[in-house]
Amino acid sequence: MNGHLQADELLMIVSIACYIIGALALLVYFFSREVWLRNLGAPLAIVGCVAQFAQLVVRYELTGVWPLLNLYGSLSLFAAMSVGIFIVFAIRYKAWYAGGFVLALAAISLAYGVTWNEGTMPPVPSLQSYWAKIHVPIVVSSYAAFLVAFVFSIIFLVKYYAEKRIARETNVASHAALADDDLGEQRISVRGETPAIEAAAAAGSPLAQWLASLPTLSQLDVIVYRAIAIGLPLISLGIITGAAWAKEAWGAYWQWDPKETAALATWIVYLAYMHLHTRNAWRGLRTNWVSVLGFGIVVFTYLGVNIWISGLHSYKM
Amino acid sequence: MTAIRTTYEEFIRTFGNVLFAVLLFVVWGIFTMIGVIVDQGKDPSVYYAAYPAAIARAILRLGFDNIYHSPWYIGIIGLILISLTVCTFKRVIPARLPPLRPVKIEKIPLHAQIDLRGEESDVRARVERFFASRGWSVRKREFDGVEWSFADKHNWARRGVLIAHLGFVIIAAGTTLYWAKGFSGDAAVVTGQAVEIPQTHAIIKLDNFRYTIKPILTKSGMVYQPIDYVSHVTVTGKSGIARPMTVRVNHPIDVNGTLYYQASYGFAMQFALRHDGKPVPGLQDVLLKEGEHVDIPGTQKTLVYDRFVPTIDKTTGMPAPDPRVSNPGVILTLDQAGTAGASALVALREPTDLGEGWSVLPQRYILYSGFEYRYDPGIPLVGIGALVLLCGLIISFYFLPARLYARIDARGDGRGCTIGLAATTVKGYDLFETQFQALVEELRSSLEPPGPSTTFRPAEAH
Ligand code: HEM
Repeated sequence: MNGHLQADELLMIVSIACYIIGALALLVYFFSREVWLRNLGAPLAIVGCVAQFAQLVVRYELTGVWPLLNLYGSLSLFAAMSVGIFIVFAIRYKAWYAGGFVLALAAISLAYGVTWNEGTMPPVPSLQSYWAKIHVPIVVSSYAAFLVAFVFSIIFLVKYYAEKRIARETNVASHAALADDDLGEQRISVRGETPAIEAAAAAGSPLAQWLASLPTLSQLDVIVYRAIAIGLPLISLGIITGAAWAKEAWGAYWQWDPKETAALATWIVYLAYMHLHTRNAWRGLRTNWVSVLGFGIVVFTYLGVNIWISGLHSYKM
Repeated sequence: MTAIRTTYEEFIRTFGNVLFAVLLFVVWGIFTMIGVIVDQGKDPSVYYAAYPAAIARAILRLGFDNIYHSPWYIGIIGLILISLTVCTFKRVIPARLPPLRPVKIEKIPLHAQIDLRGEESDVRARVERFFASRGWSVRKREFDGVEWSFADKHNWARRGVLIAHLGFVIIAAGTTLYWAKGFSGDAAVVTGQAVEIPQTHAIIKLDNFRYTIKPILTKSGMVYQPIDYVSHVTVTGKSGIARPMTVRVNHPIDVNGTLYYQASYGFAMQFALRHDGKPVPGLQDVLLKEGEHVDIPGTQKTLVYDRFVPTIDKTTGMPAPDPRVSNPGVILTLDQAGTAGASALVALREPTDLGEGWSVLPQRYILYSGFEYRYDPGIPLVGIGALVLLCGLIISFYFLPARLYARIDARGDGRGCTIGLAATTVKGYDLFETQFQALVEELRSSLEPPGPSTTFRPAEAH
C-alpha cells in the first residue's frame, strides 16, 4: 500500500515540478521571447499534464475510490484540464506565450488542492452514483476553459490599455484599435490593430516592441471567444447532469442549493458574454471584462461556496 | 391610437434589444447571487442574528430570505422570456436569415479582389465549382443586370440561436408545469409504523431502516464516514396491493408516478413520564422525534427532545464524536412558560427529575427514516428543453454560418476579369478572417494560371 502511494505521490511531485519550472520558463518567454525558453516550457507543460492525468488514474486504480469527489481530486483535475485545454490552444493558435500564467495558476490550484488531501475515503451515500463520474469532470472542465479564457482576456486588456496609454502619450490617433468606439456597424471589422504601439515600436521603444509582438487584439479576442465557446456548453451540460443527479439523489432536479445556484450565476455571466459578443460595439474591451468577471465568479462558485457557504453540496448525507 | 402605437413600438424597441436582454441577465445574475450569499428560508431571528438590524429588515421586507420564489425573481424570468420572444421575432430572425442581396464589396471588412484572364462566364463557372466542391452552397441572383453569386456555409446553423432560445422556453414551460400541477413534501416514518401521503394517499410503512458508518483515520484525525442508508418499506399505492420496496440514497422508488427519496434519518425516543413516582395514563409511552415536545399537564413546563446522542463518553460524561450507537442518551430541554430552559444530557433508561413531582425516563429508541416525495410532471419537458438548449449552444458556437458574395466583372481593357469577393458571418468578421484569407489564396491558386495579382485588404476597410 505504501509503495503504491509513493507512485501516486511521485507523479504528483513530477507534475508540480513541471508546472513550476514550465511556468517560470514560459513567463520569462512571455517577456523575453527567447525561443529556447518556449522550447523548454512547452514540453514541461505537456509532461506535467500527462503526469497529472496518470496520477489520477493510478490513484483510482489503487484505491478503487473515484478520485474526484473531494476538493483535492477535483482541483487536480481542474489543473490538468486547464493545462490540457491550454495546450490545444497553444498549438492551434501558436499561443505558448500565455503558458506561464496558465501553468502558474495550475500549480497554485494543485498546491492548494494538496492541502485538502485527507487520504482515501469511501464516498458518502449521495456521492455513490455514476453521475459523479459524469458531472464532476464536465463542470471542472468548464471551469478550466474559463481559466484559459481569463488568461487571454487579461493579455487582451493589457495590450488594449497599453495602446490607449501610448496613444495618449504619443498623440497617435488610435481609434481604429479601440473596440469601445462605436463608430457604426461597418467600421467594426477586422479590428484589433494597435497603431500607437506599432508607431512606438518602430520608433524603438522596447516596451512597444514587446507589445507589438503579442497577437492583435482581434486575435486575442477570438481565442477568448473560442475558450468560452468550450466552457459555456460544458457548464450547461454540467448543470444539466447535476440536475439529473440531484433528481436522483435528493428528489428535485433543482433545489436552489448554493453550489448549483452559484453555477447558474456563472452560466448567466457567460451567457451575457455570448450575447454581448454578438454586438460589434461591445465585442472586445467590454466582453473581455465580462470574461474576467466571469472567472471571478467561477472561483467563488468553485471554492468560495465550499468554504463559506454550506448546502447540499457540502455532502452531509 | 398613435399613443398606443408609440407605446407598442417603444416596447418592441426595448424588449427587442440584446443589450436590454443583457441588462436583464445582469439583474437575474445579481438576484441569483443574493440567494447564494443570504441564507434562504430561515427564521427571521437568524437574519437578525447574522446581519445589522437594518439589513436584516431589508432582507425580510424585500423577500430576499426566499428570493427564488419572490415576485422579483419570477418577474425577471418573465421579462427575460418576453424579451427573448420579442428579440427572436424582431431581431434574430431578420438578422440571422437575411435575403440574398448585393453588397458594396469594398465596404465589407473581409474582402478581396482577384484579377485574372479569361471569359467572364467561364471564370464564374470555375468560381462556383470551387466553392461547391468545398461544401459551400452556391446560388445566383441578378440585380440591376449584374449577376451575383452567393455561397453559404452552414446556412442551416443560422437557426442555432433559435434552437437555444426555444430550449430555454421549453425549460421554463417545464418548471411552470411543476408549479401548476406538481407537489412535494416530506414524511418521517418510525420503524414499524406507516404514514399516508396526503396528496397521493399512498401508504408507506417502514419495516426496517439501516445505516452504516465507517470510522476512518485521516491526517486530521478520526472521521466517521456515512456509507449507506437503506429503508425497507412496504408501499400500498393506487392498486391497493402492498409491495415491499427498498429506498436508498440515489435510488428512489416510483409509486404511481410519484418518486420517494431517502432524505434523512433519526432516532425517535419513547419516553415515560411519571408524577409522584407513579405512571400517568397516556404519558407512559410518549414517542417523540428529535425537535418534538410534550407539555407537562398541570404545569407551564414543556419537555423538548432536542437530539439523540449515540454515544456518551464514559469518562467525561459528554457526547462523544462517534455517531455509532454504543452508550446512548438524549439531550432534553425543559421550557418554562414558553421560555427556553436549561438542557441536560440524560442517559438511556435513566430517570430525570423535572420538578413539581414530575420525572421522565427515556425508555428506548426507535429509528425513523425521512423520505421526500415529489410529483413533477414537468420533468420530461425540462429534460427535453435542456437537450434542445445544449444543441442550440453547440450549433451556435461550433458551426459558423458564413456568406460569400462574388461579383465577376469583365475588365474595361478587355483583357480578363475581376473577381470581387466579400464575406460576412453571423458573428462579425474576426472569427472568419484566417479562413477567409486561406480561402482567397486557395481560390486564386486554383484559378491560375495565370493569376497576376491578388489583393487582400481587410485593414483598408477602416
Ligand atoms: C436565457 C436564455 C437565453 C439563451 C440560452 C440564449 C442563447 C443564445 C445563443 C447561444 C446565442 C448565439 C450567440 C452566438 O451566436 O454567438 C444567442 C444570440 C442571441 N440572443 Fe439569446 N439567449 C437567451 C436569451 C435571450 C434573450 C432574452 C434575448 C432577447 C433580447 C436574446 C436575444 C438574442 C439575440 C438578438 C442574439 C443574436 C442574434 C444575432 O445577432 O444574430 N437571447 N442567444
